[in-house]
Amino acid sequence: MSRSSDSQNGRVLSDLSVSTSPDTGVALPILELRKLGKKFSGTHALKEIDLAFISGEIHAIVGENGAGKSTLIKILTGALERTSGEIFSNGVPLSLGSPAQSLELGIDAVHQEVVLCGHLSVAANLFLGTERTRFGLLKQSDMVRKAQQVLDNFGFDLPSVTVPLNTLTIGQQQLVATARAAARGARFLIFDEPTGYLTRSETDQLFALIRRLNAAGTTIVYISHRMEEIFELADRVSVLRDGRIVSTRLVSETNIDELIRDMVARSIEEVHHKEEVQLGDVLLEVEGLSGPGFENVSLKVRRGEIVGLYGLIGAGRSEFAQTLFGRTARSAGVIRINGKELIANNVNDAIKAGIALLPESRRDQGLCLNLDVRFNLALPSLRRLSTGGFVNARKEDALAQRQIENLGIVTSSATEKVFNLSGGNQQKIVIGKWLHHGAELFIFDEPTVGVDVGTKVQIYKLFAELLRHGAGIIIISSYLPEVYDLADTLHVFRKGGISATFPAKAVHHETVLGKAIGN
Amino acid sequence: MSLADMKVTRPVASAKRQQRLNVLRGLTLLLLLVLLWVLLSFATPTFLTSANITNLMRQAALGAIIAVGQTFVIITGGIDLSVGAIVGLSSTVVSILLKSGLPVWTAVALTMALGPIIGAFHAFGILKMGLPPFIMTLATLTGLRGVGLLLTNGQTITGLPPEFVDFSRQSFLALPILFWMMVIVGIPAYLLLHHTVWGRYVYAVGSNAEAARLSGVSISKTIYLVYITSATCATFAGVLTASRIGVGVATTGEGWELESIAAAVIGGASLFGAIGNISGPLLGSVLLTTIGNGANLLNVNPFWQRIITGALIILIVWFDQMRRSNRR
Repeated sequence: MSRSSDSQNGRVLSDLSVSTSPDTGVALPILELRKLGKKFSGTHALKEIDLAFISGEIHAIVGENGAGKSTLIKILTGALERTSGEIFSNGVPLSLGSPAQSLELGIDAVHQEVVLCGHLSVAANLFLGTERTRFGLLKQSDMVRKAQQVLDNFGFDLPSVTVPLNTLTIGQQQLVATARAAARGARFLIFDEPTGYLTRSETDQLFALIRRLNAAGTTIVYISHRMEEIFELADRVSVLRDGRIVSTRLVSETNIDELIRDMVARSIEEVHHKEEVQLGDVLLEVEGLSGPGFENVSLKVRRGEIVGLYGLIGAGRSEFAQTLFGRTARSAGVIRINGKELIANNVNDAIKAGIALLPESRRDQGLCLNLDVRFNLALPSLRRLSTGGFVNARKEDALAQRQIENLGIVTSSATEKVFNLSGGNQQKIVIGKWLHHGAELFIFDEPTVGVDVGTKVQIYKLFAELLRHGAGIIIISSYLPEVYDLADTLHVFRKGGISATFPAKAVHHETVLGKAIGN
Repeated sequence: MSLADMKVTRPVASAKRQQRLNVLRGLTLLLLLVLLWVLLSFATPTFLTSANITNLMRQAALGAIIAVGQTFVIITGGIDLSVGAIVGLSSTVVSILLKSGLPVWTAVALTMALGPIIGAFHAFGILKMGLPPFIMTLATLTGLRGVGLLLTNGQTITGLPPEFVDFSRQSFLALPILFWMMVIVGIPAYLLLHHTVWGRYVYAVGSNAEAARLSGVSISKTIYLVYITSATCATFAGVLTASRIGVGVATTGEGWELESIAAAVIGGASLFGAIGNISGPLLGSVLLTTIGNGANLLNVNPFWQRIITGALIILIVWFDQMRRSNRR
């Protein structure tokens, strides 16, 4: 890793941010990209990007998955090197060759998946890369005190800064990541879908922090699929499509429809696609189920019904699903599928009974990323595809092709590694692998996190398709507009139990949120 | 939305419990060791004699020095299979240099240069050639052994100068000098791993290399550091071994790589990285040596010894993992 720092990069962005052009007296952008390009093995991820960030603004960037947002962030943070074009700060060219160099300039990023070291303490993470030492030895108590100060200043109430980071909730980790960037003197802070796994209250805390940093002079780049967040937070918004900047507008002068037209070059109704399906018999009946993290949960799912589970992270929704799926043992309660009691001691029993769980963290739990599309699609059905223990390659291939077509999975071939696919396409594979497995009850844990608008609609259409075929669906989501619009019955979880149940759209968002928080 | 939502008591409780568990794990290993010593003292007349304890300390010290270096590598999520071969090579090289008439300290200093060279070669192969640590060090495990055999033509080098051989038999403050050598390695290793920036980076790379990189941590420097540390510890152990057995044999230290990994893992290091400490391999090494020593004194069939040691490794690490998963 080269740490070469040329003379102009020795200065911090803040030193440069107030300068004006000597000729015109107009403020120069804090960062300006000119004809920026990035090629990966022949294909352009970014093409001639011209974009200027004005000092002190909140600049949103939107675009479908694969539009080039991640590549752009990686170039700015020095994780990738550009293949062409120039980057200027107040008219001064920058090289941006390594993460260390970007940090030195005050450019930092907060990612959706918290990119910190889970095994290290909160304090150690805050100071990772900028440790304080005396005679080569770490000043540990000094750093702990300072870390506590930083978090106190931002008004977080963490139990302790010496606990390992991975003992905190994802929301808390996200706040730590933001505080860390701020404490390191970030003057240009990029947020890459930071709210993907956050509950609304955690999102509010994060927004408060972002506004506070912005008020203190930090330029913010905010990337999100959630349109309402853009309109809540940003000053300007740029649309990225196929590696190009399509438009840059003032947020106050545009609307969701216009942005979506720019993003997909076609108009999509930004409503959560919901088809009316006739409800059938009771498919799943849960009575008084208790397990690790939740207690005494009872609910029913009928054929053709979407049951939503809403609540804050840690309220017991995912834990309930894990037990229903046989991942964790239940301590009490009865589960009936089609009226027959299910004694699920392990995942296999649950799968045989027709339950499919589509996990929250699809990269970690749902896919074998370094294996190909065909393998992943066939994995749960290998038994059906094989005779005498040998997998029938032709059947496997046919199944993969059928799913790729049905779901519209964008991949060069069935043998493409899943790792190379976009987030939305990965999600389709996670769903596709259960479709021809005879599953009847589908549990989706945060199904549209990190998925763009176009893919979202496809996923919602897929739900409707499943329902028409007599399936039942449970959706677990922290994103209230989604579960609210989709669910026929909405259960609100709080502190390990169901705190309220509402029929479709019976009450306002605020009431549902109140039940989740405990008003 | 109030900040009260953020107040989660669970992390504090679990962290405190984890701290207690860490202390407990150290203690249980220590308790197990004390228990073994007490049992062996009663079971055999020879265990609690100064000759046997001195012998046990010498043997344990050599294993511990290697295991300390191995622990650094393991915390980054890597593995160093070459340490046994490095012991063999360095013991023959130091013997050859001594036989050629060089003064003891010169011969030792020249041999010690092998550590950084071999370690740097490992890091180079892993970083620049993209080889997995397992493969890179597996290759040098066989390769370096070959170099040692080639240098000696398979012969044993005898007739080392008495001042070199006597070194390992001396005592200081009633404790064998080899034990003090373990202390000399252990204390700087402890400071390096737990109290310096480099040590922090070793954990960071093992926990999440990408996060470390984005924090401006140089992954390559960290990888160089741990493999050089490991190879240098093994080289040092090789020189001490030559002094202890008084001859240079190219096949010295066969199987020690597995013993050092076992000592580190028994001491609580995780092969997935980011978990481990310096006291672990020290205790683990003493425990393994005690098991071997005790079995000898009890006249247990050496073939059974191997089986018992293997079973004990499984048991100890299994208990450790159960304790760790309970905290969730």
